[in-house]
Amino acid sequence: MRIVVIGHGMVGSRVAADLAAADPGARLTVLGQEDHDPYNRVQLSSVVAGKADPAALALEQVGPERARVLRGVRAVRIDRASHLVHDELGEAHPYDRLVLATGSAARIPDVPGLRAPGGAAEESPLVDGVSPLKDLDDAERILRRCDGGGEVVVLGAGVLGIEVATGLAGRGARVTLVHHRERLMERQLDRDASEIVHGALETLGITVVTSASATGVDAPEGRLETVHLSDGSARPADLLVLCTGTVPQTALAEAAGLECGAGVLVGEDLACPGDPDVFAIGDCAQPPEGASGLVAQGWEQARRLVESWRPREEESRAPGPPRGTGGDLVRVKAVGLALVTMGRIERPGPGLHAPRSVRLADPSGGRFTEVVVHEGRLVAATIVGDEDAAAELSAAFTLRTPVPRDPVHLLARPLAARAAAPAASAADMAEDDVLCQCNGVTKGTVCAAVAGGCGSTAEVSRATRAGTGCGTCRSRIQELLDASRDREPAPV
Amino acid sequence: MPSTPSASAGTAPSGTATHCPYCALQCAQTLTPVAGGGADGAPVLTVEGRDFPTNQGGLCRKGWTSAEVLTAPDRLTAPQLRGADGVLREVSWDAALDHVEARLREQRERRGADAVAVFGGGGLTNEKAYALGKFTRVVLGSRLIDYNGRFCMSAAATASNRSLGLDRGLPFPLPDLAGADCVLLLGSNLAATMPPFVQHLEGVRSRGGLVVTDPRGSATAALTAEGAGVHLAPVPGTDLVVLLALLHVVLAEDLVDHEYLAARTTGLEALRASAAAWWPERAEAVCGVPARRLRQVARMLADASPSRGGRGAYVLTGRGVEQSTQGTATVTAAIDLALLLGLVGRRGSGYGPLTGQGNGQGGREHGLKADQLPGYRKITDPEDRAHVAAVWGVDPESLPGPGVPAVELLGMLGRPVGPSALIVCGANPVVSAPDVSRVRERLAALDLLVVMDTVPSETALLADVLLPVTQWAEEEGTMTNLEGRVIRRRRAREAPGGARSELWILRELAARLGVPTGFPAEASAVFDELARASAGGRADYSGLSHERLDREGSMHWPVPGPDHPGTPHALLDGFPTADGRARLLPVTHEDPADPLRADAPLHLVTGRLLEQYQSGAQTRRVPSLLAARPAAFAQMHPLLADLLGIEDGEEVLLRTRSGELRVPAEVTEEIRPDTVFMPFHYPGEGSANLLTGSATDPLSGMPGFKVTALEVLPAPRPVPVPDVVTVQQRSIV
Ligand SMILES: Cc1cc2nc3c(=O)[nH]c(=O)nc-3n(C[C@H](O)[C@H](O)[C@H](O)COP(=O)(O)OP(=O)(O)OC[C@H]3O[C@@H](n4cnc5c(N)ncnc54)[C@H](O)[C@@H]3O)c2cc1C
Ligand code: SF4
Repeated sequence: MRIVVIGHGMVGSRVAADLAAADPGARLTVLGQEDHDPYNRVQLSSVVAGKADPAALALEQVGPERARVLRGVRAVRIDRASHLVHDELGEAHPYDRLVLATGSAARIPDVPGLRAPGGAAEESPLVDGVSPLKDLDDAERILRRCDGGGEVVVLGAGVLGIEVATGLAGRGARVTLVHHRERLMERQLDRDASEIVHGALETLGITVVTSASATGVDAPEGRLETVHLSDGSARPADLLVLCTGTVPQTALAEAAGLECGAGVLVGEDLACPGDPDVFAIGDCAQPPEGASGLVAQGWEQARRLVESWRPREEESRAPGPPRGTGGDLVRVKAVGLALVTMGRIERPGPGLHAPRSVRLADPSGGRFTEVVVHEGRLVAATIVGDEDAAAELSAAFTLRTPVPRDPVHLLARPLAARAAAPAASAADMAEDDVLCQCNGVTKGTVCAAVAGGCGSTAEVSRATRAGTGCGTCRSRIQELLDASRDREPAPV
Repeated sequence: MPSTPSASAGTAPSGTATHCPYCALQCAQTLTPVAGGGADGAPVLTVEGRDFPTNQGGLCRKGWTSAEVLTAPDRLTAPQLRGADGVLREVSWDAALDHVEARLREQRERRGADAVAVFGGGGLTNEKAYALGKFTRVVLGSRLIDYNGRFCMSAAATASNRSLGLDRGLPFPLPDLAGADCVLLLGSNLAATMPPFVQHLEGVRSRGGLVVTDPRGSATAALTAEGAGVHLAPVPGTDLVVLLALLHVVLAEDLVDHEYLAARTTGLEALRASAAAWWPERAEAVCGVPARRLRQVARMLADASPSRGGRGAYVLTGRGVEQSTQGTATVTAAIDLALLLGLVGRRGSGYGPLTGQGNGQGGREHGLKADQLPGYRKITDPEDRAHVAAVWGVDPESLPGPGVPAVELLGMLGRPVGPSALIVCGANPVVSAPDVSRVRERLAALDLLVVMDTVPSETALLADVLLPVTQWAEEEGTMTNLEGRVIRRRRAREAPGGARSELWILRELAARLGVPTGFPAEASAVFDELARASAGGRADYSGLSHERLDREGSMHWPVPGPDHPGTPHALLDGFPTADGRARLLPVTHEDPADPLRADAPLHLVTGRLLEQYQSGAQTRRVPSLLAARPAAFAQMHPLLADLLGIEDGEEVLLRTRSGELRVPAEVTEEIRPDTVFMPFHYPGEGSANLLTGSATDPLSGMPGFKVTALEVLPAPRPVPVPDVVTVQQRSIV
């Protein structure tokens, strides 16, 4: 079986490595446009924030003995009739099965001055100081322009824009975050949540400008100097980061006559409806349940594809249904700001079986939580500014564990176990409360020993065994000894 | 016969210096006979804590009351044989042993040497473990031996051997912990299971550096309160995700010890790639621990590491993370973390697993494990076989090959391809093994079940032949504690009635089965042979003898010669791997074997209580311990109780793929609301292992005790419980 994978990003590398492990007979070729080993793209915002070492991003990849991996080589044409993929160097790669994992590209907005003059509008490079954040080269470019200071404009306050803005602000840059809508992360946040996030970002020193877009860029001598905004203001800038969305890379598929919507259309079996030998997974694909643009979905697709192709007695089968991956859980990796959304918040009217939702908005505390509970499960939530609640609710959502019927309980207390409250002082304990857990000795027994003449913790331990296990109750024994001494009349 | 107490140098004028019969901390005790004891249930010995590096004089409640088991009212003092009417009756030793001999011969003639299997225990002395392993391989010629230590240490042992080339429990003495700036304690409730251990954590707690991971707010988790450290409460079954995130941060933030990695390890790149996929925010949604907390802990550990100027850091694992179908991978990740920070094989820092059973360590070193020969030798290695065969005076060819791990062994019993006879020694698998209804069914299918025990444990009650044996205070021997320290167990009184040491029983059986020599009943003689058999092996005891241990005190192995001072700190000069380097190994997280389902949406975790030990066969016979914890219960969070509509103390029905049972609920905030905890010390209807499954870790054979998908229902009225716990009629296959 000859398998060609186009794209050696997060999902392409996973599917190639797992295919090699699952089917020793498979002959694998991987074409990757980037001239890097596969790396963790998700961490690029942490690289920009100075929280991750670019050298530490390498992902697991298929070894050279198991696959032919061509780095820095782009696929330029798919010839479906003769089952060939042509690359930019002129080589043709035959396949029995073709996997498209070409990911997505940054959407570059149409702002005058953004591109260097001359050349076709779509092709000419961005001026110096302007960059999206999509690949390692972008991250390195941004780091070169902003290593711990300067003026930065981040365009777009979606998830990525907020990550980049907080990351660069955390490194000392003066950041202006510009968003074309009134609400930040408008796909996930409602007005109240957005306002609280807005406040939190300002606390972190970020200037947030909403309902505005970039109208032009000044770059004398090809180097960025100013960004003009639709509110009429002009911002001096050393760096403009474009976080204005992504578009699935469908050009190859489209040219090969495969049906594409926003992404390459695939069925539940991850195959293109028009060609059972071509599959698409990851950010470039558009499966029936919709694309999330998150890596969990692509990795789950890779797993299903490998599972269905695993050699077995019978013929290979169609991939099983997608498994819950907490699919639409969006966790913003912002430094200094806990922000998670999951599921879809819906607020139906009253009804016995309708989802129940409760929200807590605490603008001055920088806190917002909204939870929606339906049939005993957490079906949606937005959490701002409360990292414990964010973690616990994420787990409850992902695992679909039962949650309290009354969603108020989810707001009132964190879900995870809390370490036992510090032990009560001996004075607060009742006579028959156990003072020494290890030996099951009550306060009464210790008091009796003290009354009986034991004058030190060691003597009490000898008499009662209290304090001879872990020893943490010795301070409470001492407390009882001190108390008894205080009660005794001072010797005259 | 064993030496008399007075012959032992460890007998202080005031009493006998020995160690507690229970857990691997092996607290030092002094036993003194009570004049006129034994009458009216009065204790026959007094127990006192004795100063020793591990317990510093302390004992827990189990240790203090240990002498009460000596005079348990139902203590076994005569052999018993099950008659044709199905009733166990006392018989003479000769009658019992003749019967066992005849039945064993019959099984072997009909079905070959592997017709007989042996199941040992992690509480047996080194001498007994050694003799039992030798008996199985030489006298029975069977490959089928394994032990309950498989439920305890197998994942840590497998991982330690793979990564470090050595499995000695802690490769450093316990008091070393006092100097550390950070201790990461993964899945151990030592404050309840071995309380005197806590003294060694005082230093790190005073510096705010204790990190405990546990889905419960256990007594150990509580030690992190008031600024003493950090408690992480991950979703059960996701400890590996926590570790992958810690690995990720240490690598991403470049907190590693580069010099150490370059000089002492291999495999960095593959590990990097596996950790790259677990950034903290991804881990958070799976394990429920905030990403910031994960980063904080990674940095705490790194800051405590010697390469970054810290005073030292330790990573310690317990059953909580090891008893999983990915137990070996989890321990591997813990070791990877310690290696990245340059902690292993360095004074003042390190990695180690916390052994549970008294002699879990020595048991596997000297022959109770399916694939091991004495001295931690491999039964598959021709040189190892030749060495041991020479000591045993047999042809290496005659030694059987490797057997199968415990859960698999129990599953084979009484099946057409499996053994038809089983000898159980120091174990109570009817309570302690996973999926105990299946275990009962398998035991019932046997032709012959021989059990050696001191009390009529739940397994003993199913035996065809029940042989009464001595208890700790009635015998001589050695144990190897959680730090690889070889210590002396000494006799303080005569065994009652007809109870005999397993060493004596094995000698008698061997002689009857045609091997009249090589099985001394004297522990010191067995030890001397063990020492020779271990010489040159990984766990080399050849420089030790009872006499030397009595003269010079306890010693850490390896002790390769009579003048060798022992090895308190192992791994300082390199790793016993082919190239002398430790292996950084990549790991991947898998979902549990029994993931949550819509009709089983909660996690069941099992564990121990302060007042009970293992299957409870001993501690349930101590009145004060039983009174403290008389029966099983299901611990759950008030939010879960509220959801079920039940109050503290009300009955609930717990149901898993393996079985169901009813127990009262204990409602406490100290547990995740998505998790229910049950102690596993109880038999019958309260047996937590009716609920656990028999899936095991593919690498170590460790059962996945710590994560089972669970359904909980209120059960205010008695509901009919399926007949899973009644003893089944034995049938002949
Ligand atoms: C900064 C940043 C932060 C992110 N944060 C998160 C997050 O926190 N959580 C989350 O779930 N997701 C996050 N994502 C999204 C996540 O990175 C993507 O979902 C994931 O990378 C998709 O994997 P993929 O393999 O489909 O595409 P990619 O990783 O984009 O890989 C596609 C690869 O194919 C190559 N390619 C394209 N066309 C060709 C061709 N013709 N020939 C050869 N090669 C080709 C590309 O160069 C690229 O290397 C983030 C993305 C970015 C950029
Ligand atoms: S049970 Fe363990 S901790 Fe308790 S006294 Fe015995 S050895 Fe010590």
